[in-house]
Amino acid sequence: MFRLTVQSVWARRGRFLLTAAAVVLGVAFMAGTSVLTGTLRRAYDGIATTNLAATDAVVRAAGSVDGDAGRVRGTLDASLVDVVRRVDGVAAADGSVSAGARLVGRDGKLADGGAHQAVPIGMAWLPTAELNPLRLVAGRAPRAGTEVVIDRASARDAGFGPGDRVTVRTSSGAARYTVSGVATFGSDDDAGGAGVVAFAPAAAARILGVPGRVDAVRVAAAPGVSQAEVARRVGSALAAGGRHRAAEVVTGRAAVEEELGTGTSGVPFMEALLPVFALVALFVGAFVIYNAFSITGAQRVRETAVLRAVGASRGQVRRTVLVEAGILGAVASVAGAALGVALAHGLAALLRAFGVELPGGPMVVGARPLAVAAATGTVVTVVAAYLPARRASKVAPVAAMRDVAVDRTGGSIRRAALGAVLTGLGVVASVSGARAGAAGPVGIGALALFAGVVALGPVVAPRFIRAAGRPLAGLRGVAGELARENAARNPRRTAATASALTLGVALVVLISVFAASARVSMDANIDRNLRSDWIITPLQHQDGLGPAVAETVDALPETGSVTTFRYVPARLDGATVSVAGIDPERVEQHLDVGARAGSVRALGATGIGVGHRVATERGLRVGDRVTLRFAETGARSFEVEVVYDLSSDPLGDFVVSQEAFEANASHINDQVVFATTAPGVGEREARTAIERALRATPTARLHSPDEFKSVVAGRIEQLLNLVYVLLFLAVVISLFGIANALALAIVERRREIGLLRAVGMERGQVRAGIRWEAVLVALLGTVAGTALGLGFAWAMVTALAGEGIDRLAVPGTRLVLVGAVGLVGAVVAAALPARRAARLEVLRALTT
Amino acid sequence: MDMVTIGSITEAPGAAGAALPEAPTAVVGAAGAGDTAPPRAPAARTVDAVKVYGRGEAEVRALDGVTVDFEAGHFTAVMGPSGSGKSTLLHAVAGLDGLTSGRVFVGDTDLGTLGERRLTRLRRDRIGFVFQQFNLIPTLTALENIVLPLRLAGRRPDPVWVGEVVSRFGLDGRTGHRPPELSGGQQQRVAVARALANRPEIVLADEPTGNLDSRRGAEILSFLRQAVRELDQTVVMVTHDPVAASYADRAVFLADGRIVDELRDPTSDSVLDAMRVLGG
Ligand SMILES: Nc1ncnc2c1ncn2[C@@H]1O[C@H](COP(=O)(O)OP(=O)(O)OP(=O)(O)O)[C@@H](O)[C@H]1O
Ligand SMILES: [Mg+2]
Repeated sequence: MFRLTVQSVWARRGRFLLTAAAVVLGVAFMAGTSVLTGTLRRAYDGIATTNLAATDAVVRAAGSVDGDAGRVRGTLDASLVDVVRRVDGVAAADGSVSAGARLVGRDGKLADGGAHQAVPIGMAWLPTAELNPLRLVAGRAPRAGTEVVIDRASARDAGFGPGDRVTVRTSSGAARYTVSGVATFGSDDDAGGAGVVAFAPAAAARILGVPGRVDAVRVAAAPGVSQAEVARRVGSALAAGGRHRAAEVVTGRAAVEEELGTGTSGVPFMEALLPVFALVALFVGAFVIYNAFSITGAQRVRETAVLRAVGASRGQVRRTVLVEAGILGAVASVAGAALGVALAHGLAALLRAFGVELPGGPMVVGARPLAVAAATGTVVTVVAAYLPARRASKVAPVAAMRDVAVDRTGGSIRRAALGAVLTGLGVVASVSGARAGAAGPVGIGALALFAGVVALGPVVAPRFIRAAGRPLAGLRGVAGELARENAARNPRRTAATASALTLGVALVVLISVFAASARVSMDANIDRNLRSDWIITPLQHQDGLGPAVAETVDALPETGSVTTFRYVPARLDGATVSVAGIDPERVEQHLDVGARAGSVRALGATGIGVGHRVATERGLRVGDRVTLRFAETGARSFEVEVVYDLSSDPLGDFVVSQEAFEANASHINDQVVFATTAPGVGEREARTAIERALRATPTARLHSPDEFKSVVAGRIEQLLNLVYVLLFLAVVISLFGIANALALAIVERRREIGLLRAVGMERGQVRAGIRWEAVLVALLGTVAGTALGLGFAWAMVTALAGEGIDRLAVPGTRLVLVGAVGLVGAVVAAALPARRAARLEVLRALTT
Repeated sequence: MDMVTIGSITEAPGAAGAALPEAPTAVVGAAGAGDTAPPRAPAARTVDAVKVYGRGEAEVRALDGVTVDFEAGHFTAVMGPSGSGKSTLLHAVAGLDGLTSGRVFVGDTDLGTLGERRLTRLRRDRIGFVFQQFNLIPTLTALENIVLPLRLAGRRPDPVWVGEVVSRFGLDGRTGHRPPELSGGQQQRVAVARALANRPEIVLADEPTGNLDSRRGAEILSFLRQAVRELDQTVVMVTHDPVAASYADRAVFLADGRIVDELRDPTSDSVLDAMRVLGG
């Protein structure tokens, strides 16, 4: 039986080609994304490994909070370094400090200053060679506070060498330094694409962090002392000295382990989003496979019936189809995995084109991700073929006698009921979830709704197509009429073909509407609540704005009020929240915070403001107490002084005074500075003055409110475009599905086409008919997808109303464009099958 | 000579509908080539038609120099043993297949000079074809099938004419049905109605009754006969059945790709005799 099946697959390889293409594409995407993410992870892991290569133990602050932008950990008193050095078994110990630092090029611009470049690393030069990841290749270590060592890649790119004077920009400001040496990071020219600037040990804390404090103490063990042993000894020495509460000790290996896998946070959507798109692609592929096997199954009814008549059992028939699917799936998946390696390069290029900085170096092609992708593809193929296989096995032996009939099944009561129930549940869950602002039910509702729509597809498809195709018959005559009837003749197939497109279109519409809504909501939010004239932001989050920015801008006679915002993650009842540090006296000169109870001005050293939505959720009122846990200082209790409406940027759900903020997160810099223009000063005058003041801080960006809107809009747009490109693959696969379904249907309708040609249908009319058939199927998919996408978007926007996205905006032109892409794509997909149909030899088609 | 009664036909087309005559007992060729009528140009003809399939060892001369006229307003039966080239001849006349050599004319049009598109239009506008089976598009209703060539030409079917064809073929009340919902006989009637609906110059039917029982077959044959008589339609029909051939004005016998005999006003007996002589 197996050999028979292999032969039958081989004999039909032409027909399997398009089906296989869908599997190949889906698997290639999956393999490509996992190769790429694997490569990235390896690159980032490489940084962590190199950084702590010969470090035997690390002493660090015990408290940590995982915020959106990575783990935030407290700092240690620098005096601890000497304490550790004196521990028996410790050969050497250095205090490490690191923070963003950017080299300014000879032209006064940032040496690698793209908004999406990997953020350069500033660090303390560690005197102990084995603790230091840097290897000098020219010059010497920095000794004076005015000396730095830079990485070889930056030195080469910017043309700096030992003895050159350079400007380095850190969050504490820009300063002039002398390059004392050039170094490699481990054996690489830079740290995974990021430049490195190392400062003299004594000056590093002052330049990069807080004077007298270090991020961690790195320990090298004495010969013969194991990592565990030295960690244990340092630990007990700290405990003996009463320092155990502030600090903890881990082995070097453990510290590296912790870092592994966390390093990709620079491009979080790489890890989170790409697999989602891969899954979508595979899912769409599954529809195509399902359909292909349904159609070939229907075409082989007679063959199957003969098999059954000569005594093949149902199980044998089913197994034959499944084995066929297995063979097809395996072959296509292996091809897909191979193609995936190429696709990984393409994806990397694509991401770079969209401004996402990725570390250089060769692709790491692991056997595992490829095997996983290939296995997934095979399994998906077999699973998708299961229902058609079951149906095939139900063919009665007498069916051998019947001609290929028109399959009008699909409108069964059971299916209609199931579809209606699922759709209803989905709508109810989505709507109630949306109203309650809960994303979970919305997601589950969306899934149920999609399942319901898929189940209802065969019931709705013929009705929809007959209605939508009515004008076509008038417009295109018989060709249009035949297109309509052919599209409607197999409801299940048509629905499955359209469903693949529905999913892709629904996602595109959802994301388009969501992005447009986010943008409109943000604009409205700015218009409504912003009173300030100027917004200053850092190039990247990690750069921050040093205190000098607010100070110098405030000192300008052209500015009136200046206020700052900074953020720190904190734990609240097991959840991580972001706490903003604001100036209670000035913030209302820049923002309408919409106080509902209490006043922002009342925020003192222990006061906290809470956004209205969170306050309602948590039942907080003015006068209640809230305990936050900070990485640096641990638990701190605050009293609610104000409940405000404006919980979107730049306030967020929790605000404290700058005073309270600094007491708990001393080394965190401003992220946003607002300024108003002084009375009587023109806009241009103010801009010129502020820009001049910011010249010393090339990482700071000045925007008017309108400019700020367009910057954010631009960022949304860029992400949106990337998502479009990724979803485009799903749409392409579903178009393959249309092409495949048509190609198979034409095989099935050979005689009909022959007859039509015999009684005078011209080739052009044959082609037009098939094109219009594709358009009708695509129209069904697009309309359903658009409706679902709009519904999902509405639910999401409603659910997120409290998070600043409170207006539903439907980008009409864009949606029309999406629809046009679907329909034009369908015409393109139909081109080849249409050509083939038109070229059929009339007599041969009629008689064989 | 053509005033011959086909008395030997005993099967009466019973259930063929009200508009039909009881049996094809009337005189044939009344509107056709009467004694006094001037000779008309043939509706179609072939000149030394040769069709060769395959090459070398596998070479088959399906048509081996066939020269034949199909008179206008006449009903011609093409007969011959299996594989003698009957279908090939009909396909050549219909413009469904080209010749290896020789010429085919429909009216004055030399099909050999027509390109693919003009051949298609010729089939659509000037020829009606009835196949042995699979004549109808399953997704179209009976009526839609009947007017298909007209609609393909972008012409509005004349409702009076279509109504007449429909009722002549006893298809009233069935026009909205799709082929799978019709009996085999009804399907063939729809097919013949389609072949006649655009008033073609010539109707070509390849064993139109081959799949039907004799009663249903006689029905179809009556219709064709009637079309020739009342509408001056030219009909060429391939058949194996001497009874079917007896409905025709003339029977042409093919063997091994050549015309080997011809009978005017055949009866089933005369056809049987001829077949016996030809060793059929
Ligand atoms: N496409 C083809 N390729 C090769 N040979 C063919 C082809 N079509 C017909 N033939 C051969 O040409 C010859 C005539 O075929 P044709 O179909 O015209 O016969 P026929 O008289 O219609 O027979 P039947 O009564 O069985 O229908 C036969 O020998 C047949 O095998
Ligand atoms: Mg034949």
